[in-house]
Amino acid sequence: MASTTHAEWIKFRTVRSTVMGYAVTILLTLGIGALITTAIRGHWRTMDPLRRLTFDPVSTSLGGTLFAQFAVGVIGVLFITSEYSSGSIRTTFAATPRRIQVVLAKLAVLISVTTVVAEVVVFAAFLLGQRIYEGVVPTASLASGAVLRSVILGGVYLTLLATLGFGLGLILRQQSAAISVFTSLLLIVPIIVFVLPQSWQDSVSRYEPSSLGHAMMSTSAPLNMFGPWTATLLLLGYVAVVLAAGASLLVRRDA
Amino acid sequence: MISVEHLSKRYGDTLAVNDLSFEVRPGVVTGFLGPNGSGKSTTMRIIMGLDAPTSGLATIDGKRFRDLKTPLREVGALLDAAAVHPGRTARNHLLALATSNRIPARRVEEVLEFTGIAAVADKKVGGYSLGMSQRLGIAAALLGDPPVLLFDEPVNGLDPEGIRWIRAFFRTLAIEGRTVFVSSHLMSEMAQSADEIIVIGRGRFITQSTVDELTASADGTVLVRSADNAALRRLLEATGTTVDSANDGTMTVRGTNAESVGTAALAAGIAIFELTPQRASLEEVFMDLTADAVEYASANESTPHG
Repeated sequence: MASTTHAEWIKFRTVRSTVMGYAVTILLTLGIGALITTAIRGHWRTMDPLRRLTFDPVSTSLGGTLFAQFAVGVIGVLFITSEYSSGSIRTTFAATPRRIQVVLAKLAVLISVTTVVAEVVVFAAFLLGQRIYEGVVPTASLASGAVLRSVILGGVYLTLLATLGFGLGLILRQQSAAISVFTSLLLIVPIIVFVLPQSWQDSVSRYEPSSLGHAMMSTSAPLNMFGPWTATLLLLGYVAVVLAAGASLLVRRDA
Repeated sequence: MISVEHLSKRYGDTLAVNDLSFEVRPGVVTGFLGPNGSGKSTTMRIIMGLDAPTSGLATIDGKRFRDLKTPLREVGALLDAAAVHPGRTARNHLLALATSNRIPARRVEEVLEFTGIAAVADKKVGGYSLGMSQRLGIAAALLGDPPVLLFDEPVNGLDPEGIRWIRAFFRTLAIEGRTVFVSSHLMSEMAQSADEIIVIGRGRFITQSTVDELTASADGTVLVRSADNAALRRLLEATGTTVDSANDGTMTVRGTNAESVGTAALAAGIAIFELTPQRASLEEVFMDLTADAVEYASANESTPHG
């Protein structure tokens, strides 16, 4: 297992798409975060008092993750679908016939690298946001347990979405299909939910992956949403189901 | 040794491999011959544990592929040369493969040198010519120094120099006592690189023999030109042989030999101008062998499923 993981690590770091994917992740999380917080700072004095009251300096500074989630998703998708598009999956399985071992090795690499990058970048985005808010907008401090939790879970959210992309790639085996489904889950499902009657919306929309992400990154549970830990567990559940489906297909299908 | 027992593979309605059984021995180059779409690649993928057989068993030295702990050390395969991430360098591709089977990194350098791609090892595989990709595929197959090697259509895309090199290379591997199993759809290629040939058609086993046996077993024909072709023809056809006349005054006689034709002509007092025994070429043998399989299969397919 250690040698399989080491081999997957070599494969992961020796293609440009991985490096590019993480570069985009960092750029989007920090860049969009800086844009959002700068915009809020600029409008703060004219902002609606009610919105000022419910203002969350943590989740707003992590707003870039809602864009970066697509970059990490694509990293996850490509890690497996590029093996199918090039045909190298056969070489991989001819070297490691125990396919579950290949899946676990890839997951170990994807999760550990994404966790490191995502945690570093969400902490950086948080600190950058607070620096931008400073003096005008109320800021948050990592000394608070709820703040620390929200920032950490922001990184966890990105890692879980990378894993979700990987799981979809495992099932669909085709890059374009997997990326389409991934994007649909995050963008199209909320639109569909939006046209439902209001009472349904309130009970359904909280289950959307993006709502779960919002809940994970909020210091206090927003209206009609799950608490941060419930949201984390639910998202973990989604990812586990997709991965289990992908892995069982992988074992049964011809490579 | 590779052993295939009653192997079948069904894709929907098509039986790509149909109750196939054979053994590939070490120490010789064994050709795996069949027309395109006859099930060669499917059989090789099943041997390599990539596709699951519908029924039957394929083993390598008595073990199923998926039970091998470090398969690269036991079986090397070149199935599809282009099957490498185009954005990765050859060295990194081989390094990842070697690592997965605990093969030391210096072995990567050895196989790069041996296959002659060391100079381009740090270039992305996406820019490789087909010939370079084939060499990389061969390098990957050799990584674990395995006793059993499979090559699916290895000659495709190689230049004449590369083809000479690869034939000599197969020979060397066989002399070293390895099992070398090489597929091709070209009989002429097999005739030059293989000692023994397994012929399949439409997924079915047709024959397994040495190249010499294969040509010897084929019915030869006799080319004859005489003073009275019509009379000779009647005479020969009466003995149950088939005769084809050509416009240039020659006839091709099947199912007999030159001695019988000459003796028959002498007895009837017909002067013979030309009498040439003709050996079937390997290509013709192959066409004859596989034509039967094609006929059998299409007759079989026209029967409604019941």
